[in-house]
Amino acid sequence: MMDPGPQVVTYLFGNEMLPITDTLIWAWVVCIALIIIAWAATKNMQEVPTGLQNGAEFFVTAILDQIEPMIPGHGRRLLPFIGTIFAFIGLSNLVGFIPAVQNPTADLNTTLGLGLVVFLISHYEGMKENGVLGYIKGFAEPVFILFPLNVVSELAKPISHSFRLFGNMVGGGIIITLIYQAAPWVMPVPLHAWFDLFVGAVQALIFGMIAIAYIAVARDN
Amino acid sequence: MVEFSPEVIDTIITAAALLGAGFAMIAGIGPGIGQGYAAGKAVESVARQPEARGNIITTMLLGQAVAESTGIYSLVIAIVLIFTIAV
Repeated sequence: MMDPGPQVVTYLFGNEMLPITDTLIWAWVVCIALIIIAWAATKNMQEVPTGLQNGAEFFVTAILDQIEPMIPGHGRRLLPFIGTIFAFIGLSNLVGFIPAVQNPTADLNTTLGLGLVVFLISHYEGMKENGVLGYIKGFAEPVFILFPLNVVSELAKPISHSFRLFGNMVGGGIIITLIYQAAPWVMPVPLHAWFDLFVGAVQALIFGMIAIAYIAVARDN
Repeated sequence: MVEFSPEVIDTIITAAALLGAGFAMIAGIGPGIGQGYAAGKAVESVARQPEARGNIITTMLLGQAVAESTGIYSLVIAIVLIFTIAV
């Protein structure tokens, strides 16, 4: 059986400690594609949007509509962060539709990194809103004995957050690989549509929504 | 005391890991019930208040994603058992 997980393609500067995996390369491709799309959508902005600019404006307003009800008054400030999560995870999940492309999100390194970024941002937001001492005191609510329990549940958040995306993408990938071995013609097509297009889009939405929910919970303390 | 050869021990370890992976996926029952319940309640809510459809669907997806966690944990355990111990 082939070695599962990300494959090491080459080493950075020939250093054994800095491996470059296929996940990393596809993540770079996704980043460059997003930069090109964003540049093309905004290079010639019109008062009445057309084409790509229309799509970009729809994307931005859709995300603002998700943030504003949960964190009132801070939608514009959090938009770059949340929007980047939506765009990067969405495109990363969708590129698995191309044959022989490894989903960057089907690697725990990517998802755990994103989960930890959301974890740090949510605690920063909570401390900024309530003050450092006030925020830490919030963990001792409603009774002081619950402090360690609250800390553990807080530490479980990035793990469940990242494993959810990872498990969904890897599970779909394993099922598609099995079907490719059993019935390589026609059968994988609807499965690709389901696991890469539908599940990928829904998981990107869910990852972003839960990131918003974590930040909102930390702010409310 | 019966002495086993290393090959037999390896085979037993592989078999036990694969069986364990299968048993771990029994946890898939829980998220299935939970997600189905959330979807059913969401359908009831949409039937009662069709104008709140967007909000209900977003809330349903969030709740289902949280309910899914335990199933994903069992999937990860099964993947670890198959790809790191059994191989």
